[in-house]
Amino acid sequence: MPPKPKIAFFDFTSCEGCQLTVVDALQTHLGLLDLVEIVQFREAMSERGEDYQIAFIEGSCTRESDEARLRAIRAQAAVVIALGACAHLGGVNSMKNRWPIENVQTYVYGKHGRERYESYPARPISAVIEVDYAIPGCPIDRLEFIRFVQKLLQGRKPKLPDYPLCVECKLAENACLNKLGQPCLGPVTLAGCDAVCPSYGDGCEACRGFAPEANFAHMREILQGHGLSEVEIDAQFTMFNAYQLKAMGANAPLSTGAGNGSRRRTADAEKLPSSTFAAPKET
Amino acid sequence: MSLYILPKERLPGFVDNLRAGFRVVGPVRTETGFAFDTIHSADELALDYPTTILPPKKYLLPQRETLFTFHTGTSEQGARQIDVQPAFEDVQPTVILGVHTCDMHGIMLYDKVFTEGYRDEHYIARREQTYIVGIECLRPCDEASFCKDMGTLTAPPVYDLHMTAVDGMYLIDTGTEKGERLLLSNVEVHLATTEDIRRLSQTLSAKWPHFRHRLKMTKDQIPSLMTINYGSNIWDTLGERCLACGSCTNVCPTCFCFDVQDEMDLNMSEGQRSRIWDSCQLHEFALVAGGHNFRGSKASRVRHRMMRKGKYIQQVHSLTGCTGCGRCQRACLVDITIPGTLNALYDEMQIDLNPATGA
Ligand code: SF4
Ligand code: SF4
Ligand code: SF4
Ligand code: SF4
Ligand code: SF4
Repeated sequence: MPPKPKIAFFDFTSCEGCQLTVVDALQTHLGLLDLVEIVQFREAMSERGEDYQIAFIEGSCTRESDEARLRAIRAQAAVVIALGACAHLGGVNSMKNRWPIENVQTYVYGKHGRERYESYPARPISAVIEVDYAIPGCPIDRLEFIRFVQKLLQGRKPKLPDYPLCVECKLAENACLNKLGQPCLGPVTLAGCDAVCPSYGDGCEACRGFAPEANFAHMREILQGHGLSEVEIDAQFTMFNAYQLKAMGANAPLSTGAGNGSRRRTADAEKLPSSTFAAPKET
Repeated sequence: MSLYILPKERLPGFVDNLRAGFRVVGPVRTETGFAFDTIHSADELALDYPTTILPPKKYLLPQRETLFTFHTGTSEQGARQIDVQPAFEDVQPTVILGVHTCDMHGIMLYDKVFTEGYRDEHYIARREQTYIVGIECLRPCDEASFCKDMGTLTAPPVYDLHMTAVDGMYLIDTGTEKGERLLLSNVEVHLATTEDIRRLSQTLSAKWPHFRHRLKMTKDQIPSLMTINYGSNIWDTLGERCLACGSCTNVCPTCFCFDVQDEMDLNMSEGQRSRIWDSCQLHEFALVAGGHNFRGSKASRVRHRMMRKGKYIQQVHSLTGCTGCGRCQRACLVDITIPGTLNALYDEMQIDLNPATGA
């Protein structure tokens, strides 16, 4: 038998929920442990091996000092996988990207926050290193993780759905939330979670990222139809995907010149500045 | 065949008796509407339901199903072997109660598609064990439907039994011998009298004025309308609006495309081939090896769906490609509808043909 591939798990800025899902998956699919050797997994074991071929990385990159560690992982691993929305997209961490970083630091850490805590706009790890695959979701789907690892070990290219969430939602015969007057980003979101949120009556917030053909203009119209303000729509779109939208620059489907989208917005500009994120009119 | 009378109060007993030998499915109330589901007693049945999100096709072609399992190994001589075991999921004696006439037209098309030419053994295994019990619509389900235009407001010959509610009873038409046996052996009914038959025809003719026409053209004109308008710029307008979400095809009783996938189990020696509903509205559908997509734009995909519904299916299978059930309209979030599209194409042609109003 050839030696088992060695895999390692790493975390950056994240809640570790995806790693917990992995722990969960390993408990229900014990067979996986026969096929791989886990050499590093802070969430589940204390040993640390530096000799790995496959690296799963959870969390987004939110500090310059994270970059060296990411590059070191990339230099060692033959395959790098972004695990979950933070690593894949920037995730909820990237919500802060909508404001100048100095103001965010002050707001979150207080007056001396800027001196004491290092921080920069949250980025998906693919903004720093080359990433081979992503397992999307906040958190990742346990079964999708298992299927992914199976395919990877079989030498087949793991493939994710590239169509909108509505497909899975219709197969589940859910009544459409948008038709019932409840906002749901399903039409612009990548499928793969079996439409778990709409199936339980909650609108999708696009934690798996946007579908390749996302029709933002008409998604906005649908949300406007629910009476959502431009600011609220921007807030919906940027829940997990602020980094992606910012990268679209002037093409970002966000209302120009709108406020910062925060419900807790105050008049005090130093505490909560206006958004830098409204697509610039001209650059 | 024959026409029987089932007094309404005997329906619960009929359902209970059927349940002894069959999975009985029918329209039931859900939180927000209605859906076909397994029923445990006649109280759950909502035979006066307007419509459902998914048509009863899901019992003949489930959303996902395993086609076969395989096992790879090595023979004694050292050769690689693959042992294939066909799987038949969800094949069980089933009675589908309360199928509307439009959906029966959908089933009639399915029967043709899956049994003529290539015979789909999974479909056939299920279909052979399924009884279709229809129910006549006496009022339109809602404003999205246009069954009257599509000629699907009368039952096609696919039902085993077909019920029409008249006063305190169901008049039941037997479409097949096995349907008649099913009825006679599970409930006490009596043959309809001349007076019953008169009341039935009265009920049936009285229903028509309640249904309106939504199409500006006749059903027979649709295929040529589609041919002439293949190059229309309406497709671009619709394509711009379309979300490429596939809802319209997934809920459609005449859509039957599926994708086939193989999956290996963890032990790497066993696996299964399964199929899952697919949609021509999705980007990947027309993507072929080498990365070429022969329907890359949404406009071309919307057009393709409309062409299939209005022309191709009719040409290939000589049956209607659209039953007028209205499900795609109810599912679409950007109001792309069959009547809206056909009427727009029709109007455009009138302008083209009429120099006085043409721009
Ligand atoms: S509830 Fe959301 S995901 Fe489901 S069909 Fe409606 S828009 Fe799509
Ligand atoms: S439904 Fe949307 S928000 Fe919920 S898990 Fe799926 S992609 Fe994420
Ligand atoms: S195209 Fe629309 S109206 Fe026609 S059969 Fe399909 S779902 Fe029903
Ligand atoms: S479309 Fe017509 S036949 Fe079908 S359910 Fe509605 S009213 Fe009945
Ligand atoms: S349901 Fe509407 S938006 Fe979705 S693919 Fe069909 S036509 Fe396009």
